[in-house]
Amino acid sequence: MATTTAAGGRPPLWRDVRVLRVAFQVAVLAAVVAFVAYLYDNLQANDVELDFSFLDQQAGFRIAYTDLRPSDTVLDAMLTGLRNTITVALLGIALTLVVGTVVGIARLSGNWIVRRVAGVYVEVLRNIPPLVVIVFVNAAALATLPPIQEADRIDGLLVLSVSEIGVVSLRGDGHGWPYLVTLGLAVAAAAAVGVWRTRLEERTGTPARRWLWSGGLVLVVAVVAYLALDGPVVVSRPEVDGLRIRGGNRMGLPFASVLVGLVLYTSSHVAEIVRGSIQAVPRGQTEAADALGLSTGQRLRHVVLPQAFRIATPPIINQCLNLTKNTSLGVAVAFAELMGVTNTVIGNGDPAIPAILVAMGMYLVLSLAISLVANLANHRLRLVER
Amino acid sequence: MLLALGLAAAACSDDSNDDEAAGSGGGGGGGSLLDEVRDRGVLRCGVNETVPGFGLVDESGEYSGFDIEFCKVVAAGILGDAEAVEYVSLDTETRFTALDAGDIDVLIRNTTWTASRDGAENARFLETTFYDGQGMMVRADSGYTSIADMDGTTICVLSGTTTELNLATAAAQAGIDYEPLTFTEADQIQEAFTAGQCQGWTSDKSQLAGVRSTFPESAGGPEALTILDETFSKEPLGPVVRDGDDEWADAVNWTIIATIQAEEFGITSENVEEMRSSDNLDVLRFLGQPIPSEDGEGDAAPFDPGLGLEPDFAVDVISQVGNYGEIYERTVGPDTPLGLERGPNALWTEGGLLYAAPYR
Repeated sequence: MATTTAAGGRPPLWRDVRVLRVAFQVAVLAAVVAFVAYLYDNLQANDVELDFSFLDQQAGFRIAYTDLRPSDTVLDAMLTGLRNTITVALLGIALTLVVGTVVGIARLSGNWIVRRVAGVYVEVLRNIPPLVVIVFVNAAALATLPPIQEADRIDGLLVLSVSEIGVVSLRGDGHGWPYLVTLGLAVAAAAAVGVWRTRLEERTGTPARRWLWSGGLVLVVAVVAYLALDGPVVVSRPEVDGLRIRGGNRMGLPFASVLVGLVLYTSSHVAEIVRGSIQAVPRGQTEAADALGLSTGQRLRHVVLPQAFRIATPPIINQCLNLTKNTSLGVAVAFAELMGVTNTVIGNGDPAIPAILVAMGMYLVLSLAISLVANLANHRLRLVER
Repeated sequence: MLLALGLAAAACSDDSNDDEAAGSGGGGGGGSLLDEVRDRGVLRCGVNETVPGFGLVDESGEYSGFDIEFCKVVAAGILGDAEAVEYVSLDTETRFTALDAGDIDVLIRNTTWTASRDGAENARFLETTFYDGQGMMVRADSGYTSIADMDGTTICVLSGTTTELNLATAAAQAGIDYEPLTFTEADQIQEAFTAGQCQGWTSDKSQLAGVRSTFPESAGGPEALTILDETFSKEPLGPVVRDGDDEWADAVNWTIIATIQAEEFGITSENVEEMRSSDNLDVLRFLGQPIPSEDGEGDAAPFDPGLGLEPDFAVDVISQVGNYGEIYERTVGPDTPLGLERGPNALWTEGGLLYAAPYR
């Protein structure tokens, strides 16, 4: 490649995605700082003071499905909004990765129907603005779900109503935390055992049987601890009690609408990234794997997927950030996330500019935190040059 | 996005908060908004477009309602033409930003006068046009007769309003637990309420009456809904202008007061022409007519209190729009779908709260 002058095959700085990402973030930060300075200058010129004392005033309002009381402060209210944002973002990212991966792989399926259905899913959803998807999901739920008095239910698993949705969940019962800690230790120990077995195999040729050793260890610990702690985890099933759902994980319709809407929208993008990444692995790799006599499963696991992952990670990180920021669209369906709470605070007579500055700061910290975690993962997956 | 633009505009306009200066930004070069509006020839009025009876826009883009009539009152009084109004639809969360940014000249959008809004929002509240109170609307078949019965319910409310704060207080006093469902537009609440997403809808009683009057027949019509008797707040609604421009505030305020004074004098859009030659000196002064001298020779000049308005502005207001009573009867009164009795919105002489400062 005549244009690639850098040694070791690395692209020049202006085309290196890692450099570009950092550079872009720095540029955005600089632009934001410049803009804020400009606004601040204007504020000074107009004798408007940036007064943040409203954060300690009583909020006076409540937020659904939270413990926020009217006597709590405005800062508490905004943090509660941030917690709603984080909850829907994390849950949304987890579901998006699962759905997006499945749909992306389905687009490469040999089965005509599966391939076509996945294609329609992607092409429809990624060409509609996320706000429209969310509002549509909410409107569809309002039009089709029954009032809570006549809620639809799959007994013990799911309760569906227009005001609340309940899903079966696991709940700690007194000894829930010790049990969780024990399980965590067991998983860590299993990982260590896995490494030991792998090294043993490399050294002596004894079959590693990692699944047997590690899985067995976790299973044994889980069962023994469960019996020893006298059933620390119980299944909590949603039941309708008057106008409320008791038990299980209950959520309001606004939360569900935002979550479903964002997962539908973002997973269509992730599916394209997954499909594109798998197809981007050079054909020669597959042929080489076939030449070595690897089975289809071995070829995918050891040759194709590791390389596809590496290609897919950076754009998927972007999608995670997009999903996080798109949670602010929840305001359209009455979901009290950070932006909605900020608007409420302003409507209550608190100063608009400081309130929005606080919200911007919170979004910035959240997005940077997600970037940090995702970039660490990206770093781990990077091709090791030898 | 809109909000951000509004903010940028607010930050960029050369709006002065200095109480000494009458400057209010815009192209007036430090002059009052009064001159700017006169030059422009159009009043920009921030209104609601979703509340039947108060501020509603129909399919053809026509605005109608009680608040809309008062936009016309201000336009008639200041510009002499009740139709010279540009309506700007605002929601609860953008209304003060729009006012502050100078996007509108006056905000007449069922806005409650409170101390913190007066203090913190760079807003000045004028003569109250409607004395309202917060109520709760439920389905008639729900069996709720008081907010105390509504434990465990979901209640729909507009976010960022005094209503939302009063709900929290009223529920705490009644000792009930509830989940609030907060929207920025009444339309969204109607959708949620109709679908059964919330069991109660709290707002100013006048707004609830308006919504109830137009509740779709497919969902049971007005009879399917009940407004509970309880009133759990004071909600004085009136026009709002920006702080720091007394000349503009006075001019707007007195066009509003004129409608109340006219009702007190018995001047209507029907008889205003006859009243111009009334033998009541107070009426002549109010209508800006020459005051006949006692010996019949040479009339004294029309009374001009120095509000920056034409001496006969009240004639324009009453002939083009009407007095307070006419506006009320036409938009929200007993013969309209809302069917609201005058109640506290009657003249002080009839046991109400409307009390116009004397025009002299």
